[in-house]
Amino acid sequence: MNLFESIRMAINSIFIHKLRSFLTLLSVAIGVFAIMGSGSLVSSFDNTVETEMANLGENSFKITRTPSVQTGHDSWRKYRKRERINYKQYSKLKNKIGDMAFVSVESNQSNMTIKYSEFETDPDVTLQGTNEVYFNINNRDVPKGRPITEADVEYDRNVAVIGNDVFNKLFKGIDPIGKQIKIGKQKFEVIGVLDEKGAILGKSQDNQVIIPITRFNKYYSNWWESLDISIKAFSKESFPYVLDETIGALRTLRSDQPGAENSFEIETNESITQQFSGLTGYLTYFGLLAGFFALAAAGVGITNIMLVAIKERTREIGLRKALGARRFWITMQFLVETMTITLIGGLIGIALGFLMSSMISYFLGLKVTIPIDWMIISITITTILGLVSGLYPAFRAASLDPIDALRYE
Amino acid sequence: MSKPIIDIKNISKIYQMGSQLVHALRDITVTINENEYVALMGPSGSGKSTLMNILGCLDTPSSGTYFFNNTNVRELNDNELAEIRNREIGFVFQTFNLLPRATALKNIELPLVYSGIKKYERIEKAEEALRSVGLEDRMEHKPNELSGGQRQRVAIARALVTSPSIILADEPTGNLDSKTGNDIMRLFQTLWESGNTIILVTHEEEIALHAKRIIRLRDGLIESDEINNNQVKF
Repeated sequence: MNLFESIRMAINSIFIHKLRSFLTLLSVAIGVFAIMGSGSLVSSFDNTVETEMANLGENSFKITRTPSVQTGHDSWRKYRKRERINYKQYSKLKNKIGDMAFVSVESNQSNMTIKYSEFETDPDVTLQGTNEVYFNINNRDVPKGRPITEADVEYDRNVAVIGNDVFNKLFKGIDPIGKQIKIGKQKFEVIGVLDEKGAILGKSQDNQVIIPITRFNKYYSNWWESLDISIKAFSKESFPYVLDETIGALRTLRSDQPGAENSFEIETNESITQQFSGLTGYLTYFGLLAGFFALAAAGVGITNIMLVAIKERTREIGLRKALGARRFWITMQFLVETMTITLIGGLIGIALGFLMSSMISYFLGLKVTIPIDWMIISITITTILGLVSGLYPAFRAASLDPIDALRYE
Repeated sequence: MSKPIIDIKNISKIYQMGSQLVHALRDITVTINENEYVALMGPSGSGKSTLMNILGCLDTPSSGTYFFNNTNVRELNDNELAEIRNREIGFVFQTFNLLPRATALKNIELPLVYSGIKKYERIEKAEEALRSVGLEDRMEHKPNELSGGQRQRVAIARALVTSPSIILADEPTGNLDSKTGNDIMRLFQTLWESGNTIILVTHEEEIALHAKRIIRLRDGLIESDEINNNQVKF
């Protein structure tokens, strides 16, 4: 008698009692589905945030007026009064720390239309004003043409680096370098094409045009709009120092009172990821909790069903014992049967959970992640569930008295 | 013919039934030798079933000694009893007790599965056992595709497959019509003649007369134990 035979016997008996098996499978599958579904959805989310949202380079941080993820109903009240970050503050900050870090400034307008001769894009292009270090800090390349230079910014030149989507839309097979495009009423000369990045959360990262911040501020910015500043320390060692200096300098520039909170947000890759995991944490807890309750209920159900099955098969157990089955084999037979049924249920739950989370991820534009860790967790939980809920019925079966069992009607 | 397989001395069996003690067997002494054909008779309540359970190592006596092939059965634990049942005893039941969803061959293989014999060897032995009861053309049939007599033959083949020291048949013809019952009794006779030791538990005089020796029980005591001079042979 080996394990393989026990499993085959178990599968046979699963097929014999179709409805009962189906209900058991279902109860396990629902529990595992909840755990696996929420777990893998969160994995996709985290993965997306980690690899794409938090795309600040090494030794970098970002200064914004308000945090990029806001939770809680009173946050709006809190941030509303903050003074905007203006170009002057940026310039002074750059003078102060420019010798130990790259300092870039960013501001953007979405829903712009870009035109080239008779072609035009949909009104969904993001126009971004920035400076020469933007490309370095954000790890973006300009494989075709050149990026924006310090001189472009200083002399307020009407030059533009276009994203891949814009390039595809306006310049089908034409070399765009040196061509004139129109953004609103202003004309720009295309000097480069950005590398392709793909989409994050369903939003393309290539549907953009980058122009010097000085020009942007002149024609496309409203007075109330705040700038974002990105800073990258020259070295890992100087990062904490740069961070301190920046905070000090900005507080002075923005006249923050001693003891008062910063009137701006400092965001690092870590802090962005953290803000998101605060959100995703709830989902994980909820999924786990729902899953555990469902599985606890399933476990009780499985124990019950196995006890019924053993009652029904009392004579068979008696016969097996009479023919010389040791306790161990009777225990194994029923334990393997329980484990087989729960594991099949678990696998169905894993498949369904993954399917659901993949679909949701797809629609949300998240990176679909194969959550190996959640699969292992689900299988472990299912195995434990099968063991725990199968052990008692199996022991009961094994300790039946063969004489009574044979006589059982 | 002289080697004792079963050697029971002064055994008693006492059950607790509620607050009452029931003496199912009182001080019984029996020896059964190799290749005997014994009928165990008695009305219900005579202790016949209890004795059969003890002989079959399904139960142990409360007192006295039971040596099965020189092994002291009283000292064995659950698993050791299972092993003796598996190797030494072939059970035949009144209700056949076949696994309904397994083929004849699989049913016969079952005891071999528990003794850890390899698959090809199991199939070989099971086929041989099936041939010896004349059902070689019914190997892949399930019990519900077989007649009562055929089912009992499968059960007998299952009892034979481990080449046990004794075959213990509990009312083997009880669920069969008399003609089929006769066929089964003829099969037992053949098995006995080819060297097997057979213990037949029955309450039917007619059936008991097929045996060479008849032990009668009453109220937990042996009433008589004698050679059957009128043995019915086919």
